[in-house]
Amino acid sequence: MMKKLFILFLLLPLPLFAADQTWVLKQSTLTYHVSHPLHESEGTSHSARGKGICHEGQCEFLIAVPVKTFDSGDSNRDLHMIQVTRGAEYPMVTVRTHLPESDETAAQIKADLDIEFAGQTAHYKQVPFQVSTQGTEKHITGTIPATLTDFKIQPPSLLTIPVKNDVPIRVDLTWGPQ
Amino acid sequence: MKARSAKFRPDVSVLLSLLILLTFTSFSTAQQTTATLSGTVTDAAGKPAAEVKVTVKNAATGHSSDTQTDASGAYSIENLPPGDYEISASLDGTAATSKVTLTTGAPQSVNLSLAPAQNLPNAPSSSQPAPNQTSPSLSDLGFSASETQANAREQALLDKRTHMLKIHQRMGLITTIPMVASVVTSLNAGGKNEGSASRDLHVALGALTGDLYGITAYYAIRAPRIKGTETRGQIKAHKILAWIHGPGMIATPILGAMAFSQKNNGEKVHGIAQAHGPVAIITAGAFGAALLTVSVKF
Repeated sequence: MMKKLFILFLLLPLPLFAADQTWVLKQSTLTYHVSHPLHESEGTSHSARGKGICHEGQCEFLIAVPVKTFDSGDSNRDLHMIQVTRGAEYPMVTVRTHLPESDETAAQIKADLDIEFAGQTAHYKQVPFQVSTQGTEKHITGTIPATLTDFKIQPPSLLTIPVKNDVPIRVDLTWGPQ
Repeated sequence: MKARSAKFRPDVSVLLSLLILLTFTSFSTAQQTTATLSGTVTDAAGKPAAEVKVTVKNAATGHSSDTQTDASGAYSIENLPPGDYEISASLDGTAATSKVTLTTGAPQSVNLSLAPAQNLPNAPSSSQPAPNQTSPSLSDLGFSASETQANAREQALLDKRTHMLKIHQRMGLITTIPMVASVVTSLNAGGKNEGSASRDLHVALGALTGDLYGITAYYAIRAPRIKGTETRGQIKAHKILAWIHGPGMIATPILGAMAFSQKNNGEKVHGIAQAHGPVAIITAGAFGAALLTVSVKF
């Protein structure tokens, strides 16, 4: 009887994010994409930090990244980006999300995100992310459909032509247990 | 044959330059010394909470300011001295508190989410209430104070820099018009052409180009530098090219004046004055290349 119970226990599926567990962001790549009729440009940051706490069936995650760490390869463009996003007044971008523990072995999850950026808070519903497991680590990728108007950012312009409103942010995160 | 007297029209080009400068230059000198705080309050279900009292208390002075949310749950309090504040809201047994550091300049936004009074969230902004001990906070992540603290002075410097460089960009575009026109009119300005009308037009266009170029350069040179920033990318090429078209814009009119004088004296352009054309072409070419470095991605 005890042997049967033990085998049953072993067959229980492991949760995506185990109860009463803390997760830490091990690696990150966040890339924004800006479109202009003359050219496209991207800025990337590898400096995000994050923490996730799972408790009583719910997991809360916080990811934060300094605005100044985004690098587009052009110092003038980066400075202009910091200026137009009020990056000196609001130096951090923070993302909070709430995941139910029931998102166990799913290869894709959908998360509601609260993003604070440029002094504004924007809410994104049901943003899809792909999840893969590598040992004890979780690799999560996806794209956040951000726009300049979401954060009340004045569109920068080049040669009097403004950039497009859509500024999608590609996310590539690796989480590991603390 | 006595040469016609030189008819410079620098006064017209100067007036035109001033008109363009006045059109595109406008500096705001107003200084802001207070801060504005706004945001929304939501109830435990995440819906906007109307007619909720919001209190903002200055941590240093203890002075409080009150307001009430509107039908959409939004609140706004203006004319707050910069500093550390505690924000609180309460309604029917639910409450929310948060802390914020206000700085002058753009309004700051803090959203509050009401929760049962014995379970107040400490997160500065969240639409998903949760007990403190299960919510990670920014202080958990190990960022340094310099990375998380607002710097209103640096923002003001960035704003001024962007404003000046926008004018620099527009003036640079405008400068290309008389520059191209002066290159085109140079075809009939020298050589075997004995008439002075084309030469006068070329001189006027050249003078206008010089004036507009000077204004363009002024805004680039005087735009604030941001300490600790290394010049990288195509902007580096843009700055290097200035070392070609800058001296070129000085040498071209000097050589042009010499050539003009020789032509007016009935002489063939000779000596160093012959370099006016090549120097002008190199200058215009470097100017055009500089424009391309900030327009097109290579």
